[in-house]
Amino acid sequence: MTSKLTRSLIYWAILSPLVVVILFPFGVMFVTAVRPREELFVYPPTWGFTEFRWENFSEMWVKTNFGGALLNSLYVSIAATAVALLLSIPAAYAMSRYRFAGKGAYRTFLLMTQMMSPIVLVLGLFRLMMALGLVNDLNSLVLTYAAFNMAFTIWMLQSYFNSIPRDLEEAAWMDGASHLTSLVRIFLPLAVPAVVVTAIFTFINSWNEFVLALTMMRSSEDFTLPVQIYAQVAGRYQVEWHHVMAATVLATVPVAIVFSWLQRYLIRGMALGAVK
Amino acid sequence: MANRIQKAVPLMMILPGLLLAITIIGYPIIDLAWTSMQDVSRFGKLTGFNGGANYAEVFADPLFWGSLWRTGIWTVAVVGGTLVISMPVAMILNDDFYGRGLARVIIMLPWAISLTMTAVVWRWALNGRAGLLNATLMNAGIIDQPIEWLATANTAFVVEILVGILVSIPFTTTILLGGLSSMPQDAYEAAVVDGASGWDQFRHITLPLMKPFINIAIVLNVIYVFNSLPIIWVMTEGGPANGTDILVTYLYKLAFRFGQLGKAAAISLVMFLVLLAFTMLYVALVSRNDRDDAAPEEEVDA
Amino acid sequence: MTHPFRTSTATLALSLGILGFVPAALAETVVDFTVAEYSSKTGPYFQEVANAFQAENPDIRINIEVVPWDTLLQRLTTDVAGGSAPDISIIGTRWLLDFASQGVAEPIDGYLTPEFKDTFIDTFMAPGVIDGKTMGLPVAASARAMMINMDLYDQAGATPPTTWDELYEASKKIAALPETFAFGLQGKEIETDAYFYYALWTHGGDILKPDGTSGLDSPEALEAATLYKKMIDEGLTQPSPTNYTREDVFNLFKQGKVGTIFTFPMLIPQIKAEAPNLKYRIMPFPEGKAKATYGVTDTLMMFADSDAKEAAWKFIEFAYKDEWREKFDMGEGFLPVTKNVAALPHFTEDPDVAGFAAGLPYAKFAPTIANWEEIADVTVRTLQRIYLGQVSPEEGLKAAAAEINKIRGL
Repeated sequence: MTSKLTRSLIYWAILSPLVVVILFPFGVMFVTAVRPREELFVYPPTWGFTEFRWENFSEMWVKTNFGGALLNSLYVSIAATAVALLLSIPAAYAMSRYRFAGKGAYRTFLLMTQMMSPIVLVLGLFRLMMALGLVNDLNSLVLTYAAFNMAFTIWMLQSYFNSIPRDLEEAAWMDGASHLTSLVRIFLPLAVPAVVVTAIFTFINSWNEFVLALTMMRSSEDFTLPVQIYAQVAGRYQVEWHHVMAATVLATVPVAIVFSWLQRYLIRGMALGAVK
Repeated sequence: MANRIQKAVPLMMILPGLLLAITIIGYPIIDLAWTSMQDVSRFGKLTGFNGGANYAEVFADPLFWGSLWRTGIWTVAVVGGTLVISMPVAMILNDDFYGRGLARVIIMLPWAISLTMTAVVWRWALNGRAGLLNATLMNAGIIDQPIEWLATANTAFVVEILVGILVSIPFTTTILLGGLSSMPQDAYEAAVVDGASGWDQFRHITLPLMKPFINIAIVLNVIYVFNSLPIIWVMTEGGPANGTDILVTYLYKLAFRFGQLGKAAAISLVMFLVLLAFTMLYVALVSRNDRDDAAPEEEVDA
Repeated sequence: MTHPFRTSTATLALSLGILGFVPAALAETVVDFTVAEYSSKTGPYFQEVANAFQAENPDIRINIEVVPWDTLLQRLTTDVAGGSAPDISIIGTRWLLDFASQGVAEPIDGYLTPEFKDTFIDTFMAPGVIDGKTMGLPVAASARAMMINMDLYDQAGATPPTTWDELYEASKKIAALPETFAFGLQGKEIETDAYFYYALWTHGGDILKPDGTSGLDSPEALEAATLYKKMIDEGLTQPSPTNYTREDVFNLFKQGKVGTIFTFPMLIPQIKAEAPNLKYRIMPFPEGKAKATYGVTDTLMMFADSDAKEAAWKFIEFAYKDEWREKFDMGEGFLPVTKNVAALPHFTEDPDVAGFAAGLPYAKFAPTIANWEEIADVTVRTLQRIYLGQVSPEEGLKAAAAEINKIRGL
């Protein structure tokens, strides 16, 4: 057996090219975000710059209405996650615990919903939201994101639920508890890791979604972060790259932090939800 | 009576979700299918049934076939590349070593930025003269002239595929890592006792046990990558000279630039059918091979 | 009917003071106005106009929606398809025919009083007239011109060119300077075709021949394309033009790396802010057989489905007052579309603005024809293939012309 130290060195050596490539765009973002405007286009380009311009961030915050977009993004992502979970948990429970007609068809249907790119459906979705009176309303995004993420959340939750032994619930039934009580008291606490994982998935997907947000949200007060940042790049006569990158850094860092904090759960949830 | 209620319970549980999915996704699909058989004005007004004319036009369009071909390359290259990289990465991350927590966080990072943003950042980094990629490579002495990465379709497409792989790694690694960490240790210990080499272990133990995870990773990645617009759209808009157009970018241009909504709807439907056929075929192949490995959900139903 | 979620967002937004909350007055008319975002100043500018208007007209509320240019057409397409078009919108004049022929645009002759019409410069009014009906008002205009870096010209001992031959000779001298490119050639994304039309027109050709077929297979087009290709091959342009957007080319110029570019007036404020020491001069495009410049206008259009036309028109008349137009044109760097603003000292005495405005008498406009975006796409694709050497200019242009004629149904 090689020692842990040697192994660590070898592993880091193998991972290093990937690590460099992954960190590269973050480095680019950062050094562009903090450099003075005049130093954006220098040739030959360099990583270095003459001064840290932290004001880039505050300028950007005001100019791009970053705060408003941030709140919109938070609202949409949290609400979409909540709706997706609220609908997926019972569905996944049913898929895991009951036999019923049409289960196979339901599964196929869910898989098929994953095959349509939102881009393809944009026109139809827009007409639908018109009919529902939800255009220019962040809730149209909430519903759409929840729907597009449900297939994955149901699938994940179901395979996790399968791994929770049924005896516990059955014991509770024996004690006279109703199905609902046993579900809430016994089952759900056990399912927390899987719920966290699916919540992260849905949240990140909603946080990052672009095309639908672009189509459905019509006034800039309702823009979510990706749309707001893209608006700084698209078709302007001039792109303020340092502001764009500052915005990207700010939009990314919180997610990255939450992510690294929760990724333990993520892998554990994946592992336990394993199709063993 | 009680039995009937019993039967209704699971249906009640799936119903709300099903309703949402049918409304939000089902309705637009039908709308799309309907549109694809009509003459459509620039602004989506249906002006009459035209049978298969939209489809005929699509199939007669050389740009469609070119895009279809590149979609194939794009999907296979990105999904294949992602798997080939993610598998060893997942195995390393599953093993115990110094700094594993940090390594895991770094590998997951690309997930934290939206695809659009990643593509914007790369486009900026790839800028021939002001871009930091050339700066870095020139400093490192790897190249001595700036390279215009996105100037020709060949290099641009390769770069886009690499970026596509990079952003697909976190998701895939997570799935694989989940699989690896659920693997029974005793199987390996037995193998070590039998004197099996690392490669043998990988081939005869890891790979078969990982199959369900790899399959999930393949199916989901194929679906996501096939439909992915942002990377190519932001970096090259399918250009130069349509040389990096895949179906979804071509579709986007048709629908929203040229206003050919009927033709675009037809392409959408063709794309849907291609994916459907692939998934059905793949699922069928996989489940035939895996009969003995026991299909999971039947097991717990009992 | 209140949607629970909707209330909560509204409350949330309100409590944080994001929305300027307007108490709903009785019988308030709402005018939805979609605005193309030219720069970060555009949104605030129009909001200011709207606020001033609302102060005078409390019964009308102007709802401004700012949309990035690149997604404007998609947005309007979806809006119209979904039946939720705004009341008025800024659009690219090149889209106007599609909007008009589908009955989406409202003719405005009935609203346009002779006095109001007379405030506009006729040249800019003309592109908005389709089949004798005025379908829109010019809202932003620019003309294009050549801009040269005087320092580089002096260093290379080259004379500012007035003809293509002179430009070619001057470029050879400038290209000999170290780390310098002679001619900035755009080869990617928005207006790649325009960069070619400049040469096409000045060589005496046109986008469409008199009989309506594509002018790309004309000898003049071939001459223009061959010249560009020759300049690429001889190293007179920056390397790999197909990787350079309009903005990239302009950035090279700001860095002082390129001798000659073709550009628009909006570049001037950028140069003043970012490269104040750059010595530049604005000149007409080099002549071949003809003088030409590209006049580009954007149009303010009213939608046929609007249910607030009277209110919208009232706002339009308000927004075209001189003080507002002056602020807009100065802020964005456009050429004035109204006579009074054009007569202001800033626009007559400033040599930069005058340099661009000089071309207006012989300005060409993009033809108002259906499927313009698709035709432009064919042109761009062909140019890229020519620049990359994938096809000869002759062969490429001929095929492109055939394709365009097919799109036009000729």
